[in-house]
This record gives sequence, structure tokens and C-alpha cells, in this order.
Amino acid sequence: MASSDRQQAFLAGVRACLPLSPGILLFGMVCGAAAAGAGLTPGQSFALSWMVFAGSSQIVATQLFAAGAPGWVIVLTGWVVNLRFMMYSATLAQQFRGTSRLERWLAGYLLTDQAFGVTLARILDGKRDIAWFYLGIAATLWLFWQVASLAGIVLGARVPAALSIDFVVALTFIGVLAPLVRNRAMAAAAVAGGLTSVFLVLPLKLNLMAAALIGAAVGIAMERLWPSSRPGA
Amino acid sequence: MAEFATWGVIAALGLATFATRLSFLALLGEGELPAWLRHVLNHVPPAILAAIIAPQLLAGAPGPEAALDGPRTVAALAGFAVALLTRSTFAAIAAGMAVLWGLTLL
Repeated sequence: MASSDRQQAFLAGVRACLPLSPGILLFGMVCGAAAAGAGLTPGQSFALSWMVFAGSSQIVATQLFAAGAPGWVIVLTGWVVNLRFMMYSATLAQQFRGTSRLERWLAGYLLTDQAFGVTLARILDGKRDIAWFYLGIAATLWLFWQVASLAGIVLGARVPAALSIDFVVALTFIGVLAPLVRNRAMAAAAVAGGLTSVFLVLPLKLNLMAAALIGAAVGIAMERLWPSSRPGA
Repeated sequence: MAEFATWGVIAALGLATFATRLSFLALLGEGELPAWLRHVLNHVPPAILAAIIAPQLLAGAPGPEAALDGPRTVAALAGFAVALLTRSTFAAIAAGMAVLWGLTLL
């Protein structure tokens, strides 16, 4: 591909990130503020943002840090949340055929739900300039996320408790969850996961891990019983 | 947790996540996930999202005696309805926080 084509594709990716930016900036601020509020140092809070770089996993880790969970439980639970990246990685690998090692490592580091979602739509549209489009949107998203995290880390402690700003985390996840539960099996997984986390109290703060496994098991069972409820159905 | 231990946990989670992202792109080579694993991975996100949301709707701690907190539950339902209608997380947050503030501050 000629370098001007690459540039065009990269810039198209940058532009495609802009409509997503209000949600990304808000979620990034919430994650930064939550980490700082959980007793992590500013440096550690920012490290979560650039080393883990995955909002729901960062929130899970933050909550478990605050609850005093053992380190291995935090790593395991936070990682289970991110296992879905394997699916995205498998799809993107076909688009990065023949690119350099550096490009593929960069593509992996920058992988998120939003960058993958928008890129997948472009793949399904039959567009050809996928790799550089993806790098454009993924890198822009990364930049927004880091800036928002820093803002959240700095501002987080100054918001009065009476404003219940912690509830923004729940609402953010409700916003992510709502479109998923149109699917019957995924709705069943969500209900089972929610009930497990409310009623089951396990030692070592393994509740979230248990909720993920029980919820996924119920969702898969549902899919077996009612085969019409496939993902996307 | 000691400060160096916290750093270790963050680094370990970061590396595990990075390896997961790199899996097919750079480490394993191109391939397909087995169908059963795809099923599992599809159902983990809704389960864990709901598991994070649900305890935040309670008046007290999770457990057999758990009871819902009225304003937070109503605000969550409002946010859920708006998210379904608009598909916008931003709108869901705005609606949910408006309802929560309306019920608790006024």
C-alpha cells in the first residue's frame, strides 16, 4: 500500500473515533477517579490506565484493591474480564497479515472493545485499508483515555460524596450491558451474574470470579436449551 | 497491601492482558478459537458487568439479607431504559444521575 493510502486510512480512523469520544472521556475519568479514590497512589492509578488499558477490568481491579482482596484474586478476576480480547485478536490477525512485527504488537497493545467494534463494521463493509484505519482509531482512543484518566485522578478526590458520583460506574456498565441483553442467553448470563454477586459471599473476595463463571455457565446452558438465542440473534 | 505488592499486581494484570491481546495477532499466529471457548467468552462480559452493577444497587452489603436501595434502583432502571432506547452510554449516565440526584438531593 502506498504511504498516502496508509495516511488516508489512518486519518479516517482518527475521525471515526470522534463520535465515541464523550463516552470514552467520561468513562476514563471515572476509572481514574475510582482508582485514586480506592487508595492507589496517582502513579499506580495511572499505571492501571496505560498498563491494563481496559475500563471494566480497571474497575474490577480497583474494587478488589479497595476490598483488600489478595493479589492473585485481583489479577485472575481482572484477567477473566479481558479474555474476550482473544476473539478480537483472532479476527484482527487476518487483517494484519504481512505487516511488520512492530505494527502487530502495537495493534495488540491498543486493542479495545470500541476500536474493534468500529473496525469490524468496516471489515464487514468490505473495505480494504483495515490495518491502518484500526491503528488510527485505536491510537486516538488510547490518547483520549490517558488524558481522561489523568483528569479523573486529579479531580476525583474533590467531588463531594453527597453527589454519589460513584454511581456513574454502575450507570456506565448499564450502558454497556443494555445492548447485550437483547440476546436471551446473554440476558440469562447477566441475571445469573447479578444474583450471584448479591447473594453469594465467598472468602478472598472471589465473588466476582464466581459470578462470571456461574453467569457464563447459565448463558451457555440457555443457548443449548433455546438454540434460537445465538449471539446476534 | 504494601506498595510494591500493589505495583506487582498492576504489572501482572497488565502483562496478562497484553498477552491476551497479542495472542493471535503476534504470539500464536493466525488461527480460530474453538467454538466452545467462543461461547464461554461471549457470555463472560454480560455476567461480570451485571455482577459489578448489582451490589451498587443495595442498601447494605451483599449477602443472604441483601435489600435494594430505592433511589439507586430507580435510577439504574431509568439508565437502563435510556440505554436501550438511545444506545448511548453517555445518555444513560446523564438520565440515571439526574434521577438519583432528583430522588436524594431534593
